[in-house]
Amino acid sequence: MSEDLTRRGFARGTVLAVLAGGAAFLVKKANGQVVWQVNAARCINSRLGEVGVEACNLCTTECVVALSAVRAVNEYAKCGRCNICPAYFNITSAVNELGQPSEKLCPRDAIARKPIGKVDPEDPANNFYEYIIDEEKCDGCGKCVMKCKEPLGLGSITLRIRYDKCVNCNRCSIARACPQNALLQLPVGQAL
Amino acid sequence: MQYRHVQTIDGKGSLRGIAIDGHGQLYAAGDSEIKLFDAAGRFTRRWPTTRPAHAVAVARDGAVYAGEIGQIEIFDGAGKLLNTWRDEKLLGRVTAIGFIKDGVLAGDAADRAIRRFDRNGKFLNNIGKDNPVNGLLIPNGVVDFAVDAQGAIHAANPGKHRVERYTYTGQLLGHIGRFDGIDPAGFSGCCNPTNVAVRDRIYTTEKAGPRVKVYDFSGQLLAVITTQPFHPNCKNMSIAVDSRNRVHVVDTERQAILVFEPVTA
Repeated sequence: MSEDLTRRGFARGTVLAVLAGGAAFLVKKANGQVVWQVNAARCINSRLGEVGVEACNLCTTECVVALSAVRAVNEYAKCGRCNICPAYFNITSAVNELGQPSEKLCPRDAIARKPIGKVDPEDPANNFYEYIIDEEKCDGCGKCVMKCKEPLGLGSITLRIRYDKCVNCNRCSIARACPQNALLQLPVGQAL
Repeated sequence: MQYRHVQTIDGKGSLRGIAIDGHGQLYAAGDSEIKLFDAAGRFTRRWPTTRPAHAVAVARDGAVYAGEIGQIEIFDGAGKLLNTWRDEKLLGRVTAIGFIKDGVLAGDAADRAIRRFDRNGKFLNNIGKDNPVNGLLIPNGVVDFAVDAQGAIHAANPGKHRVERYTYTGQLLGHIGRFDGIDPAGFSGCCNPTNVAVRDRIYTTEKAGPRVKVYDFSGQLLAVITTQPFHPNCKNMSIAVDSRNRVHVVDTERQAILVFEPVTA
């Protein structure tokens, strides 16, 4: 299969997943339901001022849904499009011949990186890069979220509950385990 | 080569850019004001700017230039407003100001470029914009540069993990620096160094974790100034070096200026 066809298939799958999630969300909204949501200001992975701590992965380990209903989402408008993204690379790994870290950060290889805009074929450091999270691979472990937040990054990656995956438990098992009380139940109209 | 932390100066409020004049007086931009400290670090006076000040620089004739959003304000040494250069397009957000023989340089973070003006504020050319491809990559939102004794402009290009050297006409001459998350000689993280100063050497600051380093002009690391005194969330730490080679660095979280001096054997 050509790379182009593979990318098209991936894009189609992503669009269908987003549409399904959006449809489910609208149905819940129409029925006046409440949904669970991650509060980025409380989540230790994205909360500003928390540095030098390991990423919390309770959203992965506690959710009753396979892989978790929580996924990392990159808000492109806030993303710095860095050459060396600390959410993509393990920035403390050895530097390779391209002058980049030799290891990726994501244990599931769920983030793709591609140059955008005017591309310098001679020097990869001259380029902007787009970072795309494959939500079918992401399990919401929060490692990239922890590395993206300020001051190391710009805080463009946060954890979000995907409503096409969330089964909306009466007592969310992540919420029960979260020491930061970062999962809140909100009326659909107030949710992201 | 080693440095020791010798003083912490209370910034008297918000701090962004700092500069030191030929007499050792320290100028600090922050909030909507310029603050002055004498060579011993004692606060002496302040005066208002019409917009929040992001950068400050002192010309040889003693005129004080304040970089703001959409404008540069020029004051005399007593804080009297002498002139305002207003240009929303060329001076989108002025985060650094410097001087060359016949003109003034302004770092415009909104357009990721250094602007060159003559002494009357007439725009002459851009430096670092789209050179060689995408120009200054500043995810941190600050353009910072310094001018050496020969008139070369040393600009922090944090997205490339470099300090680039330009002529005043905008020609890229070369760079020092590379990414490395382990070797202290390299610049770490997504985007470092964020700020730069030049005197007899090149001085840089980095964020996450905050640190100050000293390089020679060939790019060889000479010293890592201790990182301990800084708040870990510091970023875009403005840096200035006085005639005694004392290094002044802004702690952006504690709103203080930390002073380091070389340790002589």
